[in-house]
Amino acid sequence: MADRKLYDESAEAMTGNPQQIQAIGETRHCVVLAGPGSGKTRTLTTAMARSLLEDVAEPRGIACITYNNECAVELEDRLQSLGIESDDRVFIGTVHSFALSQIVIPYARCVYPGFPEDISVASKSQQDTARDTACDMVITDGSNQRDAWFNAVTKRKAIIDRNDPSWVNASPRLTRLIETYEAELRKNSLIDYEDMTLIAARMIIEHDWIRKALRAKFPVLFVDEYQDLGSALHNLVLQLCFVGGIQLFAVGDPDQSIYRFAGADPRLLESLSSREDVVTIQLPFNYRCGTSIIEASNAALGEERGYQAPEGAHKGEIIFNPVDGGEDLQANFVFNTLVPSIIEKGVRLEDIAVLYKDANVGNLLSGVADSLGFSYIRADKNALVVRASRISRLTESCAKWTMGGWQESDPQFRRLAYEAQTLVYGKATGVERREIERELAIFLHKNTMTELSTHEWLLLFKKDLVNPWLTKARTQTDDWAVLEQMIVKTDPETGQDISMLHFSGRFEETGRINLSTLHSAKGREFPTVILFGMNRRTFPDPRDANKPEAIREARRLFYVGVTRAKNNLHLVFQRKLFTPWVLELHRRITPKKS
Amino acid sequence: MYLSRVKIKNYRNFHSIDVSLEQQAVILGENRVGKTNFLQAVRLVIDSSLPDYARKLKLSDIWDGHDWATDPTVEVHLDFSDFDANPDLLALLTDYRLSDDHNIARLSYVFKKRAGITGPAKTEADFDFILYGSGIETNTISRSVHQRISFALLKALRDAENELANWNSSPLRKLLDDAASKVPDEDIAAVAAEINTVSKKLTALPAISKLEESIKSRTAAFTGPLQDMKTKLGINPTDPFRLFKNLRLLIDDGKRGVADASLGSANLLLLTLKLAEYEWLREEKEHNYTILCIEEPEAHLHPQLQRAVFRKFFEDMEDEPISLILTTHSPNIAAISPLNSIVMIRSSESNDQSHIYSLAKLDLEKDVHEDIERYLDVTKAEILFSRGVILVEGDAEEALIPVFAKTIGENLDESGIAVCNVGGTHFSSYLKFVKALGMPYCIITDWDPQEGKTALGAIRALRLINLTLNLSGENNLTPVEEATLLTDDEALKNKAKEYSIYLNNSTLEVEISNTAGVSAALLDILEERDFGSIRSKRISGWKDGTVPVNSEQLLSMITSIGKGRLATRLANKAGIQPPAYISEAINSLK
Repeated sequence: MADRKLYDESAEAMTGNPQQIQAIGETRHCVVLAGPGSGKTRTLTTAMARSLLEDVAEPRGIACITYNNECAVELEDRLQSLGIESDDRVFIGTVHSFALSQIVIPYARCVYPGFPEDISVASKSQQDTARDTACDMVITDGSNQRDAWFNAVTKRKAIIDRNDPSWVNASPRLTRLIETYEAELRKNSLIDYEDMTLIAARMIIEHDWIRKALRAKFPVLFVDEYQDLGSALHNLVLQLCFVGGIQLFAVGDPDQSIYRFAGADPRLLESLSSREDVVTIQLPFNYRCGTSIIEASNAALGEERGYQAPEGAHKGEIIFNPVDGGEDLQANFVFNTLVPSIIEKGVRLEDIAVLYKDANVGNLLSGVADSLGFSYIRADKNALVVRASRISRLTESCAKWTMGGWQESDPQFRRLAYEAQTLVYGKATGVERREIERELAIFLHKNTMTELSTHEWLLLFKKDLVNPWLTKARTQTDDWAVLEQMIVKTDPETGQDISMLHFSGRFEETGRINLSTLHSAKGREFPTVILFGMNRRTFPDPRDANKPEAIREARRLFYVGVTRAKNNLHLVFQRKLFTPWVLELHRRITPKKS
Repeated sequence: MYLSRVKIKNYRNFHSIDVSLEQQAVILGENRVGKTNFLQAVRLVIDSSLPDYARKLKLSDIWDGHDWATDPTVEVHLDFSDFDANPDLLALLTDYRLSDDHNIARLSYVFKKRAGITGPAKTEADFDFILYGSGIETNTISRSVHQRISFALLKALRDAENELANWNSSPLRKLLDDAASKVPDEDIAAVAAEINTVSKKLTALPAISKLEESIKSRTAAFTGPLQDMKTKLGINPTDPFRLFKNLRLLIDDGKRGVADASLGSANLLLLTLKLAEYEWLREEKEHNYTILCIEEPEAHLHPQLQRAVFRKFFEDMEDEPISLILTTHSPNIAAISPLNSIVMIRSSESNDQSHIYSLAKLDLEKDVHEDIERYLDVTKAEILFSRGVILVEGDAEEALIPVFAKTIGENLDESGIAVCNVGGTHFSSYLKFVKALGMPYCIITDWDPQEGKTALGAIRALRLINLTLNLSGENNLTPVEEATLLTDDEALKNKAKEYSIYLNNSTLEVEISNTAGVSAALLDILEERDFGSIRSKRISGWKDGTVPVNSEQLLSMITSIGKGRLATRLANKAGIQPPAYISEAINSLK
């Protein structure tokens, strides 16, 4: 339950921002357009708290859906600070987990006779097996199965309504391929990610009582980062809210839409806010960035947004760091020269973030950081701890507990046990809960303040806990494989093993510098940001030269990077071979010579 | 929403029962058939006040007839219907819908052998219970379901007076606390000041202050100065916040406290206050629904009051978010209960288990429904407390059959057999009614021959046979079977007997005149009574044989004689044998 006092404080802090105040009190469908640093998450979480305190009484609740697990975790943390925890009446999670746990699992068995009651998510290999079986059954004329599959997947994503004539009539073989594939999955009580939203959307379209039930449980639906939703998820939201009568509270920023490769489309948010039955509120302030960085962000985006800094805001500083050489030299420059000079000015290591394009660049940077003895937290797909993975987060939390967290109950054992139960069973029964609690307690106590290395501890974690869990798990996700990857990533043979103190991040003396892809940095902020490798042949990618949509998206990514900085923004690039956007930015903030 | 179905397996008296309920259920049954056990089974699923250890059953709670080798499992399943009309209840229960019927939410309790125990379970420790929904064991029931659907039980042996008097258990407490919290502080302070003044005035009265002083000095002397309790007389406590606790419920315009109320009034008060408490809890959104069980609500109430109070009670409760379950031995309450609320628990013949029957699904046409309700009302629901019932066509049968029974040595009253006068030949509704109650029955009806056509009784018998088959879930007679039976009256009558339908050869009137001795005996009795001149003349004519007996007229005269008198008179006539079909019918219920 939301805490009244914490809510009051949070709402109090909105004094002087009428738009935020209007947003949190809104009881109609509402879209909040929130630029960088505009207090988007505060607005969202405060609105949720207000809903729980004033509008929605027990046993009814609210749901907040996010695009990915990382956002969900981030949001859960923020909501905890308002006293809100996810439970029976507060759902916080991804659209997919909402579709699965709130629509497909409870109701599909009621509307599709024979639908498995114990459905679980298919792993990659299970999907592949089903795909191969389906291809062998349907594509029997010797034509290319791979092409057929590719086309079938496209068709599956494009047509949500299976009663639509185009699903049945146009290229019926592809239809048959998909239907066979889905039947193969279902035979093994499996469902894939695409299924979740498709089935859920179909169910709410077809059954009034399901819409009614969802409205009863969650009369208000909050959606974070709406610009990241693709059309299938957008459609799901439209059905829930504009057919099902659930009140919508969506926040997002089309300018920060950077998941086009996954189907995201910023126009969907725009179409939502242009509806007559939707109140659109634009948050005007940027509380995060210094005035010069706000100014620069307009140039970064290439469009004027008119965000204002609150009165008395600091100016901030933008520093251009040309390097004579490519990424290798730039990486050396960052850790040998730039970072030490920043620290010298009194900035703490954990207040610095190096942002870059992708995990390969991350490898380069972490290699240099390792060689110079910097500790870091890495946020990209090669990171040791993958934020989007439950097992990965659980091992990290367990390590924290083991290496001293047990003394101050941070993290709480209760929370660890809950994570483990959810990981193994989804929704656990009483007996199952007690069993997991006992196993986890025994393991953690046995290894308190362990002297094992991270690699050794992870191996033990796998042998003592995860292997027995796997034999009884009801969830079969690819998540378990992440533990394997962590074990490989800490292999002492390759010199990557680290101490448990290091892994658990329990350092008293020095902090860790942040290494993150631009994508993973979305939604976060750092006092000092180093935009790494802003080179001509990287931004934008030359392959995108003829794709205006892709270029626009790349530019939005650059905008996201620029707006992560609170005080100091460093741009690191190759001298004379920088991206044209750096130049634009430079021109914008350099006073014209008169 | 209402609790629409209960299934119990292997629990105490119940081997396996499955019963439909309406929003109001009135459970009837003799002592020890398991009425309280039924309520207890419901508690295992839904009562949040039941601690876990109470859900761990004793081996003796498992039905006696189970086979240990097959690992008996105790199961209780509660089905809820119409929960989607209220968003709160919908939010609570939507996760527990049944796969094959999404309009039903099911909550279950199961007590079974733990996983991992090999071989048959032997001790209580080998068992554990689980609670789950939608018939899927992994679908655990959320805590909020237990918090928000409350179970309340007023036990048979309740001590109403004590419950009302004890502040902590009194239902008045929450209501009073709530009301008090709405009184402005300054008002409380003002009243407290006034009470203080009055208190001082009272204790300032010379006699009182003298007493006060004397008590004070005595205790002080006794305890010594260190332990001095500083006693005082006064209206206490005048502390504003505790002021309201001094309020007591009074009756008779404030002349008496509840302790002085009659047991019956105290029970009514308790019930009224409990209902107010549940309503308040729902208004405060603490609860959303109540399953309210009252054992023997008739306790200590005069029959007349029982009828009046509970007739209104049933009406008032109809639209409340309450599932009401009463258990009762009171014919007065049974007589005014809505027909579909009647539930009957009955012990099996071998006495090793109890069966349950319900009228919840009894679907009759409106006028027949009302007929039966009226019938129950005027007969004080006699039929519901009987062990068997004879369904007959009219007043004559109703009057004569108990008499005939006596002549063949059966006392229907003593053996608990009721004669139910259907008032015509529309037996089918009554047949549905007695079948639904699982009651032993027989039907006595006329053959009613028709000139040149199939006898009405034959058609009626076939219809009733088919209905009986239907009600037992069996197929109708085939057209060939029917046609064959219609060609052979005797075969049809024998077939009908298999279905407890007893037919004569024509009509009761004719049977009477054809049965040796009966007619003469009846004439004797009639003669003793003063009828008008026409009737008296008719009787004497029949008697001396100058006029052939008109049975129809004879029977109409008989029904005007009191049943009791007729019976005694006839019983005194030795050696009279009733018509054979009637004897057979009576004997079939032995």
